[in-house]
Amino acid sequence: MRPDSEPARWRGTTVRAVAIAIGAAAILAFPAVAANPYMLTVGIGILNYAVLATAWNFVGGFTGYISLGHGALSGLGAYGTGLLITGAGLPSFVALGVAAVIVGVLAIPIGIAALRVRGASFVIVSIALVLILLLVFQSWAQLTGGSRGFVVPRPFPHLHRAEHHLVFFFLFAGLLALALVAWWLIDRSHFGLGLKAIREDEDKAQSLGIPTFAAKLVVFVVSAVFTALGGGLYALWFGDLDPVFQFSVLSGSTTVLIALLGGVRHLFGPLLGALVVGAGLEYFKLEYGDTPLHLVATGVLLGGVVMFMPEGIIPGLFGLYRRWFAPSDVSIREVTAAALLDASRRVPEDRERASREAGR
Amino acid sequence: MMSFRAFAHGTPLMNPSNRVHRTTVLIAALAFSASGCGHKSAGSASDPILIGVSLPLTGDFSEPGKGIQRGYEAWAKIVNAAGGLLGRQVKLKFLDDQSSADRVVSDYEQLVGKDKVNLVFGPFSTRLVVPAARVAEEYGMLFVEPAGAAKQVFEQGFKNLFYAAPAVATEHYKLLASYLLALPEATRPRTAAYASMDDPFAQSTAYGLKAKLEAGGIKTLVNEVYPPSTTDFSSIAAKIADSKADIVVGGTQYQDGVNLIIALQQLAYQPKLAAFSTAPTEAEFAKAIGNKAEGILAPTGYTPQSKFPSNVEFVQKYTAQFGGPPGEDEANGYATGQVVAAAVAAVGCAEQGDCQGKLVAWLRGHQVDTVVGGLKWDDKGRPLGAHMIQQWVGGKIQVVLPADLKEADLIYPKPTW
Amino acid sequence: MSAALVVQSLVLGVLLGGLYALLAAGLTLYFGVMRVVMIAHSAFLILAAYLAWYFHSLTGLDPLLSLPITVPVFFGGGVALQRLLLARLRPATRTMMSVLLTFAIALVIEGGLGTVFTGTQRRIQLGYSGASLELFGARVAVVKLIAFALAAAAMAALYLVLTKTKFGQALRATIQHREAAQLVGIQTDRIAGYGFGLGLATAAIGGTALALDSTIYPSLHWRWIGPLMAIIVVGGLGSVPGTAIAAMLLGMLMSLLQIPLGTTWAQTVFYLALFATLAFRPHGLFGGRLATRF
Repeated sequence: MRPDSEPARWRGTTVRAVAIAIGAAAILAFPAVAANPYMLTVGIGILNYAVLATAWNFVGGFTGYISLGHGALSGLGAYGTGLLITGAGLPSFVALGVAAVIVGVLAIPIGIAALRVRGASFVIVSIALVLILLLVFQSWAQLTGGSRGFVVPRPFPHLHRAEHHLVFFFLFAGLLALALVAWWLIDRSHFGLGLKAIREDEDKAQSLGIPTFAAKLVVFVVSAVFTALGGGLYALWFGDLDPVFQFSVLSGSTTVLIALLGGVRHLFGPLLGALVVGAGLEYFKLEYGDTPLHLVATGVLLGGVVMFMPEGIIPGLFGLYRRWFAPSDVSIREVTAAALLDASRRVPEDRERASREAGR
Repeated sequence: MMSFRAFAHGTPLMNPSNRVHRTTVLIAALAFSASGCGHKSAGSASDPILIGVSLPLTGDFSEPGKGIQRGYEAWAKIVNAAGGLLGRQVKLKFLDDQSSADRVVSDYEQLVGKDKVNLVFGPFSTRLVVPAARVAEEYGMLFVEPAGAAKQVFEQGFKNLFYAAPAVATEHYKLLASYLLALPEATRPRTAAYASMDDPFAQSTAYGLKAKLEAGGIKTLVNEVYPPSTTDFSSIAAKIADSKADIVVGGTQYQDGVNLIIALQQLAYQPKLAAFSTAPTEAEFAKAIGNKAEGILAPTGYTPQSKFPSNVEFVQKYTAQFGGPPGEDEANGYATGQVVAAAVAAVGCAEQGDCQGKLVAWLRGHQVDTVVGGLKWDDKGRPLGAHMIQQWVGGKIQVVLPADLKEADLIYPKPTW
Repeated sequence: MSAALVVQSLVLGVLLGGLYALLAAGLTLYFGVMRVVMIAHSAFLILAAYLAWYFHSLTGLDPLLSLPITVPVFFGGGVALQRLLLARLRPATRTMMSVLLTFAIALVIEGGLGTVFTGTQRRIQLGYSGASLELFGARVAVVKLIAFALAAAAMAALYLVLTKTKFGQALRATIQHREAAQLVGIQTDRIAGYGFGLGLATAAIGGTALALDSTIYPSLHWRWIGPLMAIIVVGGLGSVPGTAIAAMLLGMLMSLLQIPLGTTWAQTVFYLALFATLAFRPHGLFGGRLATRF
């Protein structure tokens, strides 16, 4: 464990709690500050990105597997919700829940097939999943409306459009909170520890007795459920589904970019990434219109992150800051073995001192 | 062995930088919401009337989309030259929705919600019109559109929608069906092949004709549907050629029509009659299929030669502005402008809010004279006229049906391509 | 469904398979040389197709005449790509990161094409675009034949380079076992660069062949990357002959399945083959040891 030169832990916790409270208040206050309903839709778009990226981060952050195919799961959630409403007559939010459960169940065989392979094959399989579902949903037009689109009935048909956006803003915020809490719980748990071991070195984790395959599968299913909830909620809000947009490798990879940007190891990393990317895309659209340049920008950004800051821009920038202004906090790679030994000897002393101070 | 080992370095298990993260989120959120600025709406009498439109200027529907844009631009120029609308100049704001149903929704959200336009015009293609119309409807805006003709459009329960062309999609081929079924037994075609894009408009036109021909005894041998992004038509063409159907009908937009015809040419399939929606009416069509367009049919709501009063001026000024005569898309765009202008002039207002309801009510009860003829609508927004049939004759596209409006005689059977 | 239709589909399938073989050959080369999944390969194909179209619209000459320009440029581009970007990735996570990096490159190419040429769909119209020949009882379009001939010639040339030249042998050695190749004195880093260049050069030829009979638009590469990846997995990652055989098989299968199933459903055959291969025979037809620990 690294030497911790930060102030005592109880102060850190309070600051953290206050910061979270302020952040939550900011999000809840946004609709009041937003100048017009259009900005609200932009806000919903960002929350949607954040939900999908956080859901993706269950797999990407904990196990280290990069799935470019989460678009398949959100698309299934979206169409599932829509079909349950129009075909089975379920009320909107019941359909949402049932669709998410169905996708979770489907995720088991998908996970079993996909998680057996690693690395390049896993990515290829995840992409192939999205593409084959795209073909299926385009061809099975009788069921899905094909490329003519699928209309999802409004859950609250009597609302004026601006009110509709308002309600869904809070619904998305609620879903995001749920996903964040779940991520946080796994992060602190023993289960999460096992997953992180898989991320560090899967073979060694396996030899330590961690049931790697079962653990990966469980977290994949959790990720799938949250992704499907995000997709289904989007379907209820947006109302019009087209296979080309629901089963899109591009949107799946935007999710990955968002998570990478904000930092996959952190709870709020995907949310941060969503803010940056969402605001950036919106700015681009308003300044330059709908040009393909934003694709170039996304590509350059993703390439830059991969090449130079694979732990995420925000963590990367703060790492730079720390290296600049607090040079004792260096990366473990740059510490010699002797200094490391020295530091690890100091930790129990720190902890004793901290507990003495706390007890005072 | 793949892992995020690169990520493993430098980050301890307990994480003080979460706090820093949170602060960043807070700052970003506040900065972002503060940046959302709205436009003041054009309210005073001398401000221009801002009209918002989202069109597919790129993507699958871009050829006809650009045609509609030219029509709108011609309309704005002519109206402004005549003094504007209610004494105010009109200004068009175009957004490119890239032929995407997702973007067209956010485009109209932006136009109505953020840019606070006074009026909206519709986009191109049923696929885009339906979601766009929903936005307009839920904001209470009048929605006159130049290109949503399929029956889906009128079954959504929209109360503010009006289609600015003579007839709905399923009726586009009405005159051709009558012509074919009236042919003598010996020359009448006996079999037909249909290929249409999985698009509500394209399919509606083809299926409208199919229903009429099947009822008249012409057998359907092939009935293929393909997704919009299809570019490889070799297998569909192979099936059509193998069936040796007498006639081929395409429910197409632009590029897919071109590709299908080239694929049929490559198989040396020679039908007695070939009818395609949209594609043959585009300027680039003949060249794109190797200048072998002679005899190809297409339904149309418009011809530059028609003698409707506003049409003569339109053709003249359009040709001066763009260097060539207008086509159907341009005319539909222009007609949309005329319909909205008529309502605005009659009611005397042009802004969001109650005014839109008054415009809707006025249109419901009146006929408007346009370059595509007099337009009148039923309670769902369906126009009550009839489309013409055009054919490539002598290297030009000309009206061949109905007989009283024809510019050339219908060629049947079609020369080889 | 008549016998003539089946024959027609079979012939079409062979022509298609040949083209797919060329398009996928580069993809498997990149993987063999550097364990890199180059998602941008299909984007480069479309780029080459656009260059061919642009050449034709600018000069009016046959697009095939653009090959002497595009092939060396793409070769150089491939070498640069490998040396400057991919070699910089840390070896431990190279495969994963290369996916994201090449994905980013594909986005940049797509955005660039969209900006320069707009999203309007393009198609080269040649005098002989609609012409056809009678071959084995089937009607074959002349442009498809030319594309096939080009692909066959390129594959033959690739085969000769790989088997008969010293460079080719060095490349195959590097693919087979990098450390052993280094031990016998092969400059694997440089060879890897040239291997990449070779892969991208095949993309230049493949893209031009594609442009002869296809409508192109910037986002077309999404439609190709899936089938091509499936082909290289089925054929065995890193094996060029495996890719060629898998391409022919899957091309013919897809063409035949189009009769009963229609174009869209028939395309699923690539993905089904991919899943089946990974489930039952993960190293594909000829993959061997390469496929086990990627």
